[in-house]
Amino acid sequence: MPKYKIADVVFEAKLIYGYTERLCKNYEYDGEQPCDFSVVITNDDVAKEKALAPEFVEPYLESLALFRKLCDYCLEHANGIIFHSSAIMVDGKAYLFTAPSGTGKSTHTRLWRELLGDRAIMVNDDKPIIRYIDGKFYVYGTPWNGKHHLDTNCRAEIKAICKIEQAKENSISKASTAEMLLTIFNQTIRPEDPAQMDRLLNLTDKLLTQVELYKLGCNISKEAAELSYTTMSKEKNDEN
Amino acid sequence: MMKIKEGFIIREVAGNFIVVAVGSAVKQFNGVITLNETGSFLWKKLQDGCEKEDLIDALLNEYEVGKDVAEADVTAFIEKLNGAGLLK
Repeated sequence: MPKYKIADVVFEAKLIYGYTERLCKNYEYDGEQPCDFSVVITNDDVAKEKALAPEFVEPYLESLALFRKLCDYCLEHANGIIFHSSAIMVDGKAYLFTAPSGTGKSTHTRLWRELLGDRAIMVNDDKPIIRYIDGKFYVYGTPWNGKHHLDTNCRAEIKAICKIEQAKENSISKASTAEMLLTIFNQTIRPEDPAQMDRLLNLTDKLLTQVELYKLGCNISKEAAELSYTTMSKEKNDEN
Repeated sequence: MMKIKEGFIIREVAGNFIVVAVGSAVKQFNGVITLNETGSFLWKKLQDGCEKEDLIDALLNEYEVGKDVAEADVTAFIEKLNGAGLLK
């Protein structure tokens, strides 16, 4: 069984289709660390995903089934959640852009890469995993990297989370925890299990109080990226 | 008597009161409800079960509001909960 290490979680997976194996290739692991868990994807798992998203083909659905099991494990044992966003790292710090699909979060991180060149590294363009470790939040790349296939097998400490809206004029301001709360809930997997829900609520509470929160109204321009990067990369004691 | 259905939990998250469903209640309600302070106060009373009059009295005892306002608040709150099918 192939072994993988994703979000610093080591697991082995028995898969049905070759697609998921190819998808996870960059996350294969042959180190000494023992497996944190072992997963077998069954036809039943794939059928459950099919019921949720009938438009997709089975090999892709299998990868989603694996992702779901990994996220379940992360929430239960590793203080981790999926946070649907486009995550980019600059000078070692991560910035997460979130918005409903089609709003332009991938476009905005592309503008950052054009602005910042090699300083900017895509952590993941669609489904990164966030973990809370020793009092800090980190974002991890995962193979579930969105339609532009952008991800890096790495982790970075999260500096800020930014909610994006399309706008004619560019503007950015701090977002309140109330404004960001529903966004986070809408961009993660909400568990049915009460104990898992409890863990999700605890993590969300810490995330909202520990990382910087912004809301950005933006168009597609270099100025939009300059505004968000300059504002969000400021250190707290640089303010005023 | 009115009472919140099983499977709904209220929690304070970063200073905000929210209600989410767990277990089989997720099939009925898959959203998140945000409550203000008064709303969370009323919610907690409704978890144990009570009458509309009890809620109005509780508001009058806890907050400096007139009876008309308290009645209107409670009525609106109950309608909101009924709209989402959260009361039994």
